[in-house]
Amino acid sequence: MADSTNTVLSARGLSVQYANESPTLSDINMDIAAGEIVGLTGSSGSGKSTLAYALLGLTRRGAQITNGEIYFGRNDLLALSDVELEDIRGRDIALIVQNPRSALHPMYQVGRQISRVYQTHRGSGGAEAHQRAIEMLRLVGINDPERRADAFVHELSGGMAQRVLIALALSTSPKLLIADEPTSGLDVTVQAQFLDTMWETSRKTGTAMVLVTQEPGILANYCDRVIELDAGRVSKDVSASEFVSTSMLHTTQATSSGQGEGQNRAPLLKVEGLRKTFPLRGTKKVVQAVDDMSLSLFAGESVGLVGESGSGKSTVGRCLLKLLDSDAGKITFDGQDLGVVSGEALRRVRQRIQIVQQDPYDSFDPRWTIEKSLLDPLEIHQIVPPTEARAAIEEGLKRVSVDASVLGRRPKDLSAGILQRVAIARALLMKPDFLVLDEPTSMLAPQDRHIILDVLKRLRTELGLSYLLISHDLTSVASACDRVVVMYLGQVVEQGPTTEIFEKPVHPYTKALIGAHLEENPKTRRVDRTDRVDLEGEIPSPIDLPVGCYLATRCPQATEACDKERQVLSSFSSHHDVRCMRAGQLELDKAS
Amino acid sequence: MIWRFTLRRLAVGLVQLSVLIVAVFFLIRLLPADPVSRFVGLNASPEAYALAEQSLGLDLPALEQFEVFLFGDDEEVGLVGGELGTSWVTGSSVNQEIRQYLPVTLELITLSFLIAVGLGVPIGVLGAVNPGGAADKGTLIYGLFAGSQPEFSWGIIFIFVFFVVLGIAPGPLGRLSPLTDPPDFVTGAITIDALLAGRVDIFLEALWYLSLPILTLSFVLSGPIIKMVRENVAQTMNADFMFYGQAAGLPRGILARDALRAAFAPALTLIGILFGFMIGGAVLIESIFSISGLGQYAIRSILAFDYPAIQGVVLTISALTLLIYLAIDVCQALLDPRVSV
Repeated sequence: MADSTNTVLSARGLSVQYANESPTLSDINMDIAAGEIVGLTGSSGSGKSTLAYALLGLTRRGAQITNGEIYFGRNDLLALSDVELEDIRGRDIALIVQNPRSALHPMYQVGRQISRVYQTHRGSGGAEAHQRAIEMLRLVGINDPERRADAFVHELSGGMAQRVLIALALSTSPKLLIADEPTSGLDVTVQAQFLDTMWETSRKTGTAMVLVTQEPGILANYCDRVIELDAGRVSKDVSASEFVSTSMLHTTQATSSGQGEGQNRAPLLKVEGLRKTFPLRGTKKVVQAVDDMSLSLFAGESVGLVGESGSGKSTVGRCLLKLLDSDAGKITFDGQDLGVVSGEALRRVRQRIQIVQQDPYDSFDPRWTIEKSLLDPLEIHQIVPPTEARAAIEEGLKRVSVDASVLGRRPKDLSAGILQRVAIARALLMKPDFLVLDEPTSMLAPQDRHIILDVLKRLRTELGLSYLLISHDLTSVASACDRVVVMYLGQVVEQGPTTEIFEKPVHPYTKALIGAHLEENPKTRRVDRTDRVDLEGEIPSPIDLPVGCYLATRCPQATEACDKERQVLSSFSSHHDVRCMRAGQLELDKAS
Repeated sequence: MIWRFTLRRLAVGLVQLSVLIVAVFFLIRLLPADPVSRFVGLNASPEAYALAEQSLGLDLPALEQFEVFLFGDDEEVGLVGGELGTSWVTGSSVNQEIRQYLPVTLELITLSFLIAVGLGVPIGVLGAVNPGGAADKGTLIYGLFAGSQPEFSWGIIFIFVFFVVLGIAPGPLGRLSPLTDPPDFVTGAITIDALLAGRVDIFLEALWYLSLPILTLSFVLSGPIIKMVRENVAQTMNADFMFYGQAAGLPRGILARDALRAAFAPALTLIGILFGFMIGGAVLIESIFSISGLGQYAIRSILAFDYPAIQGVVLTISALTLLIYLAIDVCQALLDPRVSV
């Protein structure tokens, strides 16, 4: 590992404690070599963010560094005065954090926030600092940096704000960059672009990096070494490839149970030409959430609906349950037109279609015990006689591998992963024919994510459950769905069997999405690949949509015609549809 | 952008004022009151009564009265011409009377606010920076006291303590000693007029006489200001951008300025609302200290059923309040880019 001659920073016996509590970190020893990218991982609550801040000699309010030394160059940071520390922070060791939008001051232009840090540490003049800010913004891939420098943080998207933060952090050419979960909350394509930029910059400038993350994909793709924390202690300090190979997290590869033979029956659920817009208050404009969406799902089939935030996938889920009324289109469920059902019939339909929401804490009444939350819907829909209700919920919990002892507890006493499984159990108690899962894993730690997916896969085989899995996480969809539907800006751009979509994607957007997917394998690192399809810029506003292909502004293969012609979803091969007029051409180009 | 916003708001304000004029005009005429007999006495002959009613213009149907109020008649130009009419009690123009009384109140509350803000902001910041410290504890005790009694009772207590017992403050005799000749009327605010007349002695005397009313008002006003500033600053100091600023090694001076800027915007709203409220709400303090300001004038007019004067006061206070709210919104927008204008 780090030999002492090129060590940038080393911590010895570092301990951090919140007042009167047991130590958050105890006796941490770690070294970081020049130019090295070290992944810092561990489950939530393991103290990894606390350690990241402590390396700057900083703690959140209420916490204190109680013990240890942090050597940076010849200095022990913890022995320096506040003023000396101020000099090192931001100049030699820089930080980027999870929530870039709240880390930037809301009332100053972002360019000014960069330049004042530069001025503070490099003692330059105002004009020079402003130039530096613009130069840095350009370096991190922000279009039109002169204009963006005058923007305020609320005018920027999350991805853009994160780039501003890294521009700020790197403007002083620090020797060490500490990044605390810098991509949580970003979409996959933006995450990949951002991490690429960070990785390249680090390699170019020789800046060492500590990258705090829970994502095994990020560790495998961008890190040289991984330090794992467990309850405030270092439990592993190994190379990235060793970490991945010894880690228990292994993705099950894309599985397709090949439901093709079912296609002759009538579909259980059929959506045709669904459209949903939201009016923009005070204007005549509308936000187009979903447009010309068509989808069929057969009994026993599992379909994944993927797309980045703002692609309209959650709106589709809500329209299916009639939680939202659609503007146009027809939804047929088991032969019934959902557009006309109401009253008792609608109640029946709602029992047969169940939804599992993203945040389990939001979908349980915090004051009710789990038992009451599970019994309530059983009574309302009179699924089982009252005498058998208790047995039914215990049986239901067993199905999702949750112990019946949770019944007496309340939601806040359970972890998000367990509670989400209870939510699935509750939905299944209604004996539904069809389940909508709206981002069921996105709030969960990787371990819990795997458990949920395993439960789903098992239920699919055991009960023949049909479900629509809405997710931005391709790994989930790849492992738990027969078919994949890819959405972009409210439209389906490609749909087909899972293996085909993942192995031979046709639409440029699907390619970029899959390219941005970080596999948990250091041998197929994204940064080493040469055939990547990267999208440019940002997702257009769903208020002023492009006239032609919605992707044209970002697509590397777009031609002039793409800007003008509206695209239609057409059959590419059997069971595989693509919304791109150049689809055939692109395949030919690739072949030649 | 900000100009268009201001103009739009002024236009909306004009509409609001118009509605208010209509409401006030007709509502006071719905009162079960008889202003005419108030002027001629209950024993007046029917002829004298009719004559008085005619001279006040109350013999006309309400709608026609409103027309006269808006567009005037042979003698007056009416509201469109910028005239609020003639007071039934004094016979002089309501415009002139408001011109005389309004500056008195504005002077009193402006000086009180300067002190309340000047003390409240630093005390609030100290409380937030050092929770549980001396400033914080003092604020708590003070909050228990100041909030427990209305301002007029504090006025009386202060007069008792500082004038009667200690004898270190002047009596509640108005803005100047009755023996002093006031300076020429220019702005109506006595401190400014004294300075304009080059009379530093009168300026100091006026401040001296105003000291107790100002003390009372600022004592009561600084309570909410301190609390608001303390909460906002405390919240800001816990904000992510402050933590990040520290991590970026920004010097303490810059960080303090950042925190104040973020914390001050909401406090500004509170100060503005209090100020608007005080234009009419300082009346008890005015009464206690014999300061003839707008509040006193309003009470006198209401008790005398002096309709033109009441209308004038309501309009003036509303217009000023609207302007103050507009000023706050403009300041907010200048201070905080997230406030869309």
